[in-house]
Parts: sequence; C-alpha cells; structure tokens
Amino acid sequence: MAEAAAPLLEVKDLHKAFGGVHAVEGVSFTIEEGEAVAIVGDNGAGKSTLVKMISGAYRRDSGRVLWGGRDVPLNTPDDAQNLGIATMYQDLALVADLDAAGNIFLGREPMRRWLGLVPVLDRETMRTTSRQLLDRVKISLPSLDRPVRQLSGGQRQATAIARFLLSDKARLIIMDEPTAALGVQEQRKVLELIARLTEQGITILVISHNLEHVFTVCRRIIVLRAGRIAGVVKTDEVDRQQVVSLIMGGTQ
Amino acid sequence: MVATSNSGGVGARPGIAAALNQINPLIFVILGLYILLIIGSDRFLAVTNQMNITRQAAVFLIIAIGQTFVISSRGIDLSVGSAVGFVGCLMATVIDAGVPVPLAILFAVALGMTIGAVNGLVITKLNVNPLIATLGMLVALRGATHLYMGSNTVTRLPETLKFLGQGFIGPVPVAALIALAMAIIGWWLFYHTKFGRYATSIGSNESAVGLVGLNVDRQKILIYMFQGACVGIAAAVLVGRLNAASPTLGLNYELHIIAGVVLGGTALYGGVGTIWGTVLGILTIGIVENGMVLIGADFHLQRVLIGILLVAAVAYQGFRRRRLGSGER
Repeated sequence: MAEAAAPLLEVKDLHKAFGGVHAVEGVSFTIEEGEAVAIVGDNGAGKSTLVKMISGAYRRDSGRVLWGGRDVPLNTPDDAQNLGIATMYQDLALVADLDAAGNIFLGREPMRRWLGLVPVLDRETMRTTSRQLLDRVKISLPSLDRPVRQLSGGQRQATAIARFLLSDKARLIIMDEPTAALGVQEQRKVLELIARLTEQGITILVISHNLEHVFTVCRRIIVLRAGRIAGVVKTDEVDRQQVVSLIMGGTQ
Repeated sequence: MVATSNSGGVGARPGIAAALNQINPLIFVILGLYILLIIGSDRFLAVTNQMNITRQAAVFLIIAIGQTFVISSRGIDLSVGSAVGFVGCLMATVIDAGVPVPLAILFAVALGMTIGAVNGLVITKLNVNPLIATLGMLVALRGATHLYMGSNTVTRLPETLKFLGQGFIGPVPVAALIALAMAIIGWWLFYHTKFGRYATSIGSNESAVGLVGLNVDRQKILIYMFQGACVGIAAAVLVGRLNAASPTLGLNYELHIIAGVVLGGTALYGGVGTIWGTVLGILTIGIVENGMVLIGADFHLQRVLIGILLVAAVAYQGFRRRRLGSGER
C-alpha cells in the first residue's frame, strides 16, 4: 500500500562462476510485489544460473538478497521455500499416475478417522480444497479423480500452480519456460493463468524465449547478456524490436 | 481444454465399455477356468476342494500383498522365497527350543522386517538396483538357511501353530482367513494411507515425490520392511500347514508371487497397483494348479499355462496403458 514499501525481492551485485566461467557477473534488480517480470536473454546469457540462485538451487558466490527490504539467507531450496519462493519446473514435477487433488496435496495429505477409529486419507477435503484453489485461478478440470497423465498441458500447469497456492505461503513463483512444449490454445490458457495469479497479488518471475508471450503478461523485462544486465525495460514503453536489440547487443 | 467454470463430477465416460474397463479382466479368466474345470472334473466344485484352493493360495497371497507395494513403487523383491524359508526355519527351531508360539511369531515378523530393512538400505543407501540387491539376498538367505539347518528338519510343531496352517473355522481354513485379513489390511494401507499413496507415487515419479519434501529413501525402506512383515506372517502359516521346516522351505515362491501380482494388474514399471488384482492373480494361479491336478494333466503343463497367462497379462496391460492417455511421463 505505502508508496515507500520495500520491493518484494531485491538482489544486489550477484556473482556466480563455474570454474573460470563467469555465468553471472554483478547482476542487480528488484521485483515489486504482485508484478510479473520476465528474464530474457540468448542461450548462455546466464538466465537459468540467475534463477537457480533465486530458487536456492545454486549458492551465489557473492552479492546480497533482500526480501521485503531485509537481508535473508538464500542458499538452499529450503531457504527459498521458507521465504515463499516456489519454483515451477519445466516437467512440473507431477506424479502422472496420481489424480490432480492427490498431486496438489502430495506430502500434505489430510487424514480423517473412519468410524472414529481407523485413520484414512480425507479425499473429500482434498477434493473440495483443490476445487477451491482451481476456482481461484478460474481453471476447471474435467475430473479431479483422473490421473494427471490424462490431463492437457495447461491443466497440468494449473495443477502445479494450485499446489503452490495450497501452502498459502507462495508469494513469488518462478516459472521456467511455462509455455514451451504447449499447443497454441494451451499457451493462451497459461498466459491467462499468469495474469490471474498477479491479480491475486502473487508475484511471477518467468523465463521465456517467447517475446510475444512476455509482452502479453509481463510488466517489466530484465534482459541479460553475457552474465550482465543489458537492460531493464517496461513492456509498455518499448517494442519487441528494441528488446531483441538488447538481447543481441546491438545499439539502436 | 480448460473450461471456464467448474462443472464438477466425474468426466463423461459412461456406457458399458467404460464399466467393463473398470473390471479386472482376470475375473473373466477365472470365470472361464471355472466353466472348463466344472465340466472337466466332478470334484472341482466340491466345497472341500474350493477351500483347499484358498488354503494353498493363502501363503502366497500374504507375501503377494507386500510385493504389491514393492512393485508399485517400481521395486522388486526376489528374496521373499528364501526369506520365508530362513524365517520359517529359525522360527521353528526357537519353538522347538521351548519359546511360546505367539512370541515365536512376533520373532518371525521382526526377523522378516529386519531382512526387509537390509534390502531397503542396500537399495537406497548403497544405490544397488532392487533386482540385484534382492537377488543377492535370495542366494545369501538360502545359503544361510542350509548352513543353519544342516540336514535337519524340524517337525511335530505345537497345535497352536498347526491351527494357523491346517485349522478350520467351520468350512473355512484359518490360513485363508489370515490371508483375507492381510488383504484387507493391505487394501486399507494401499488406498487409504499415506504409506500406500507414497509407494505408488514413488513408482510413478520418484523425483517429484522428493521435490515436495518427502523422504523417498525412508519410504522405500518402509515398503521393504512391510514386505518383510508379510513374509514373517506367511512363515508362521506355512510352517504350521506343513508341520515341518526344512532348508528348502519356500523354494521358488518368489516366481509364483511376482507372477500373481503382475497377473493381477500391478505394473512392473511402477505407479499403478491393485490389491484386489493381486488377490485375483494369486487365486488364478491356484485354480490352474488345482484344476490341472484334478483333471490329471501333466504337472509340467500347468507351468506352461501359467507362463503363457503371465505374458498375455503383461501384454494386455501395455495395450491398455497405451489406449488410456499418453504413455509418456
């Protein structure tokens, strides 16, 4: 609310090298709560190294991470999870033979007592809560009891997202190429999903090669080139050609 | 296809075809076998013979319940035959030495669970393929049983133990009742507890289970320990039924059991399992064996038949899997 509120995430002067190769060299940027930000760049620009430092998969060599204005440890995936940073992997990490509700609740299954005695999985609670979570992002599945193997790509994405929403803690969701490997129709659904998540105040950091998609859903674009920031632009102030120039390193 | 409103309910797949899809095809195999065997033998349908089938199947079924969890998690336990022999012989000798039967059965279960824990630890911590880890256990335990027993056979066991293997309650064998109880416990664990859910989930996508923060190694070790507990109970029933324990106890049981589980519909590639199917699978093999004896067929012919049935069942599984939803993970 307050104008002076600290950004949700601020990274300062991040460095990461593998052997002699400097993958990320002095990257700084901020992400405000509730916005969708894209990281773009050519292959090898350092996108995935950067994102893996934010998700705790890689430990940074140096630099600071501020979360809500405070310095925080962010060295392991657990650190990230505790802060409320969730990473959506490209394969979505779903159990294909389990239904959507089962996937959403995997590892956090509620139990009830049958005849007040025998502990059993509370399928009813899992189903109704899953339905509510999916309603929040306005996604409907043909059936919550069907193995996710039988769902479409977009429906699987929604299931993976609903899993993050269940924890209530998820404030920043990192998505790695969420629209890759999807049909056109499905891509549109995923973009709508991202838009709805930001409407709900959830912050999205997305890696994408697809500038058209980036311009559709993101407010700002962080352009990486050779491990450094080549530019941070607002999507309503530039056009695609200008972003391509930043990626390629040409001047306009 | 993402609809804009939640309509709820199960997806539209009505009709007879869908209903048939829900039925385990083994039911039709069993039905066919019954028709053939009723025609072929006038003794087959007799109550005593029917009960005999369940009594013969009981030990296999008790172990197969555990194996269903193992195979669903994309593992396998080849050591169950040797383990039931080892556990059975040790249990029989402690009973012979004067240990009360209930205590000896607890000992058998604990010993079975220990063997399972070793299997699980070798598979998870030493990262040995389950096939090899439990093959090693199969060979080692059979050797250990022979070393321990020498040429001895323990016989003349107490009535209480014999009751478990040979006794009847009304017309129903006690062994069959124990197997039924184990199947019900297995059904509860498999469908209604986290333990069962995590077993199939690990079989389907192990890394996804790890990513939500579950300890995959711990779950796997627990699965093999549960298999071991089943082996312990089976050992008590088996030794009670034979009223004897010799070093060849349980020889080759693993093949019979794994065949029954896979025949029932549990997938060798993990992720899909069925307790009810395992019951049917073990019964199918039992019916074939029993029926072939009754109609006087060559003993070896039944093995040929069971082999063919097994391959046909796995081929059918694959066919069904390709038809229902994408086969990729």
